[in-house]
Amino acid sequence: MNFWKNFKKNFLINFWSPIPAVIALGVLSAYYFGITGTYWAVTGEFTRWGGHILQAFNVDLSTWGYYQIMNMQGNSFTRVDGVMIIGMFAGCIAAAFWGNNVKFRLPSSKIRVFQALIGGIIAGFGARLGMGCNLASFFTGIPQFSLHAWIFTVAMIIGVYFGAKFTLLPMFRSKMKMQKVSCVKSLEKDETKINNFFTLGSLAFIAIIIWALYLIFFQNSTKLGMAMLFGSAFGLIIAKAQICFTSAFRDLFITGRSQMAKAIVLGMIVATIGVFSYIMMGQPAKIMWAGPNAIIGGLLFGFGIVLAGGCECGWMYRAVEGQVHFWIVGIGNVIGSTLLAFVWDDLSLSLATSWPKINLLESFGNYGGLFFNYGLLFLLFLLILILEKRYLNKSINR
Amino acid sequence: MNIENIVPDFRLDMQGEPCPYPAFNALEAMKELKKGQILEVISDCPQSINNIPHDAKAHGYEVLNIDSSGPTIRYLIKK
Repeated sequence: MNFWKNFKKNFLINFWSPIPAVIALGVLSAYYFGITGTYWAVTGEFTRWGGHILQAFNVDLSTWGYYQIMNMQGNSFTRVDGVMIIGMFAGCIAAAFWGNNVKFRLPSSKIRVFQALIGGIIAGFGARLGMGCNLASFFTGIPQFSLHAWIFTVAMIIGVYFGAKFTLLPMFRSKMKMQKVSCVKSLEKDETKINNFFTLGSLAFIAIIIWALYLIFFQNSTKLGMAMLFGSAFGLIIAKAQICFTSAFRDLFITGRSQMAKAIVLGMIVATIGVFSYIMMGQPAKIMWAGPNAIIGGLLFGFGIVLAGGCECGWMYRAVEGQVHFWIVGIGNVIGSTLLAFVWDDLSLSLATSWPKINLLESFGNYGGLFFNYGLLFLLFLLILILEKRYLNKSINR
Repeated sequence: MNIENIVPDFRLDMQGEPCPYPAFNALEAMKELKKGQILEVISDCPQSINNIPHDAKAHGYEVLNIDSSGPTIRYLIKK
């Protein structure tokens, strides 16, 4: 019995350490590409949700170019991206309820509601303009050797910088002040509630595993079932380790912390070689246009995620924890990506589709491209160290 | 360090505020403390588990205790 108690506490209740978690995400995302033929990504599916909502209002999408690219066939239960996201939500629910992290939290002020909605819209718009979010144009896009992901990432870091400056303007700062006290605040501990939550988390986890296995063994939809399993693992990991891509560069500028940014680069280092091996075996890489869309999209996205307080996979686990703020961010994301689909036909030729899709493995040869990507990852790691040092030097001199 | 033996001097209750505000305000508050004083930070942004303890240590403070058993997390930080 003690063994179970310890296991429960160490692995299911307590938070996980973020660095190994991000490296695990890198490894899993490479395998995910090998098995499903696509990369781990979420915003494309959010855009399709927006499309389905428009269809429900009898809007004819056949004239919308973006939805032609996005492939609107089927629904969330029949698309790889769709079932992967269902899996992710289940993994997030399991993590939140096992860890007793669920609490209904309302935004503390109207300004936060504004931040969540506007930031979510800007981030959703920017992500889809740049053909991906922190995943497809950064964490899982760079290991695909698509130059657009590098352009997006650099622009995103600049956008994050301005977002960080903007969100710390006096009007946005938190009004909470410290008070003089003489004892610790007692925190609510309701054992019955904790146990009930734990059971709920277990039910969500078991249900998604059964569903995925059913798809694999009874429906012969191996790809869908595997995508769902991978999704549940992605969701479980980001929620248990509280992985926040938004904080990676934001906090380099705000508090000088580099841990998450470094972890993400390490994750991409392991993912790159994994993806490379699948490409060598014949899996086609996912390459997007390296045009001004990646620059503008990256800038908007970086700014938007900081203003909103979370990005596209960040809001997912926070939403199931009961943080209403992130429900609004999620709604904003869907609105923003749908807005982009709306204006795409006016912008796409000049900003994206007339520009080349640059695959580093074609530009520099297979191994040239591999080492070029590693060279850039090394430079990104150096940049993180320089930004951290710059912040700490500044704060010591203050 | 046992929670029973820790008496905080100040409390910063950041419930309802999303990141980065809990960590940012905690660091701002720590600047106002005298050496040896203790700040209790309350945050219900679970993500703060990856920033408040790190940032406190990086800025030269000592993290005495973290209670992250529930959705509202308590950090006790000594200057």
